[in-house]
Amino acid sequence: MTGTQTLLTVALQRESDVVAARQRARELAGLLRFEPVEQTRIATAVSELARNAFLYAGGGLVSFSVEPEQREPALWVVVSDRGPGIANLKAVLSGTYQSSTGMGLGIIGAKRLMDAFQVDSRPGEGTTVRMAKMLPRGAASPDVPDIAAKLARHAPPSPLTEVEQQNRELLQTLSELKRRQEELSWLNRELTATNRGVVALYAELDDRAERLKRADEVKSRFLSYMSHEFRTPLISSQSLCRLLLEEDAGPLTEEQVKQVRLIQKSQQELLELVNDLLDLAKVEAGKTVLRPSAFRVADLFATMRGMFRAVVPGGRVLLRIDDSEELPEMFTDEQRLGQILRNLLSNALKFTERGEVRLWAEPVGGGARVAFYVQDSGIGIPVDEQERIFEEFSQVESAIQKRSKGTGLGLPLSRRLAALLGGGITVRSAPGEGSTFRVEVPARLGSGAAEVEVAAPAARPRDRKVLVIDDDEASRYLVNHALQGTRFQVLEAPDARVGIERACAERPDVIVLDLVMPGIDGMAAMEQLKRDHRTREIPVVIYTSGVLSSEQESQLGRHAALILRKGGSREELTDSIASLAGESGRSGERP
Amino acid sequence: MKLGEFLLVSIQVDMHDKLALALQQDLTDRIAATGARGVLMDISALEVVDSFIGRMLANTAAMSRVLDATTVVVGMRPAVAITLVELGLSLNGVRTALDVERGMQLLRAAVRQPWEEPDGDTPV
Repeated sequence: MTGTQTLLTVALQRESDVVAARQRARELAGLLRFEPVEQTRIATAVSELARNAFLYAGGGLVSFSVEPEQREPALWVVVSDRGPGIANLKAVLSGTYQSSTGMGLGIIGAKRLMDAFQVDSRPGEGTTVRMAKMLPRGAASPDVPDIAAKLARHAPPSPLTEVEQQNRELLQTLSELKRRQEELSWLNRELTATNRGVVALYAELDDRAERLKRADEVKSRFLSYMSHEFRTPLISSQSLCRLLLEEDAGPLTEEQVKQVRLIQKSQQELLELVNDLLDLAKVEAGKTVLRPSAFRVADLFATMRGMFRAVVPGGRVLLRIDDSEELPEMFTDEQRLGQILRNLLSNALKFTERGEVRLWAEPVGGGARVAFYVQDSGIGIPVDEQERIFEEFSQVESAIQKRSKGTGLGLPLSRRLAALLGGGITVRSAPGEGSTFRVEVPARLGSGAAEVEVAAPAARPRDRKVLVIDDDEASRYLVNHALQGTRFQVLEAPDARVGIERACAERPDVIVLDLVMPGIDGMAAMEQLKRDHRTREIPVVIYTSGVLSSEQESQLGRHAALILRKGGSREELTDSIASLAGESGRSGERP
Repeated sequence: MKLGEFLLVSIQVDMHDKLALALQQDLTDRIAATGARGVLMDISALEVVDSFIGRMLANTAAMSRVLDATTVVVGMRPAVAITLVELGLSLNGVRTALDVERGMQLLRAAVRQPWEEPDGDTPV
């Protein structure tokens, strides 16, 4: 059909679409300038057919078109569906049909309302109803595009449509939300799984750590046990060798003596190794007992000198041990410190073919700590090996290394011992340029460790009392230590107030008084002591590390029996106290 | 809306079929609940009354009669009336009036003479 212009189509999907179709039909009829009665007729006819399509075919399509080019232009309405078709079309059209639902007026009614009416219905294929209404005569030819635009503008007229649209959007949002939620829960599941994995890994790590710790403990126990078990037979075989050499059981031939001496030498080496192992095991097990004592570095160095004199292969290597008179007295475990230095020196000598090995010491931090240096001109240690040498049983690969014997225990043991003394060992070295080992330890072992050694048994009755008034625990300890093995019993007071109380109560033979103390200082304490009749006669030794002005000295001199510098020798202190108390010097050697 | 012993129903929107049935159901329920003697249905807002809506109106009138209430439909547009007749629907049993005022008079009269047969005339 030429010139047919479709104005509008309405899909019939819901019941409300039937209402929409008839409203649109009326609107369109109005725009095409039909009379109000005609508008109602067209709308009613559309309503009837649309309802039929919706009710009997479950949906369909209504389309409106005009044919302005025709001689008698008309509005055509086509209602089509894909339903089962109309079974008794003839009966319906003739008006004789009576629907079981009381209906049946729809098609025939619509036919009556319109000018042209055609029904095409095929069973199983659907029904198409075409009907037309002549456009009003005399009216101007309709402006089709304008009408279409107006219709489009008035489009979704019903609030229901709005609500449905919103409903659809809501449903869409809902399904989107559901999808998101699924995504999230999936993510959550994955995270949970990962988390489980991490937790499992942690547990495994913990387990590993625990096993390592146990293995380490077992190793230490094993070392300790083995060393003990080794030592006993070693020592007895050593004694047997000695017996053999003493020729108690009969003379040995020269060759036999040589052999036994070789056995003895091997035994000695083995014993040293076992001792090192034992020490290491003890340190690791935390069983090492420190025995701090006051000593001078010079004395320690003298011992070293004597010890290594025999060992140094004369000629090519020179061992130099510096004097260290200027160093303060140390209070720490002399034996352990000596062990460290011995290890370092013998190492240095071992790895130095020619040149010099030097040992010296210097105060660090105003004398609070002391650093010992062992320097050699030996083969040196590459930087990447410098940490490894402190590991047990590790040695740097070298030609000398292959020649010299060693267990690789010396350095690790030394480092552990140094740590035990509150210090540490560092090394500075480069291959071919020699090495410098630096041991830094506190000059005074911490007070906690100092308690390790309680009191050596008193050699004789301690019937004389010395009161030490000093806020510094180490100082009190030193005096106490110095007077061990003498007749003096040491009373201690951590400040002047307690000191004066104890002096009044216990009437000591001698009072050792520090000058610089918190609260009442030494000077004021002295005044108080001299005022009180109970303490007036007790000789007071001023024991101070400070430097006194001549004015202070003269002021003190009025009351003090003696002024001693801290850091002086042990004998000086004990002799002074003894003489003041009316004793004749030290009454015995220290045990 | 209840007005004395009458129910006043004003249909303001173009109803789809289910809505029309729901109205019918609702109205009969209210008649039973309130014991109203008359129902006034204002359809002046309806531009299209097709066979379904027309039948609904007729059925509602028949139902309320059974429930002892008289129904008067008022405010029908002329075009609607013409179309209804052309459709072949004469709204038998439905009393009609031009406007609400006349409708109320009709109702009052009907309540006074309850057994009078409705004439079904449509004063256009």
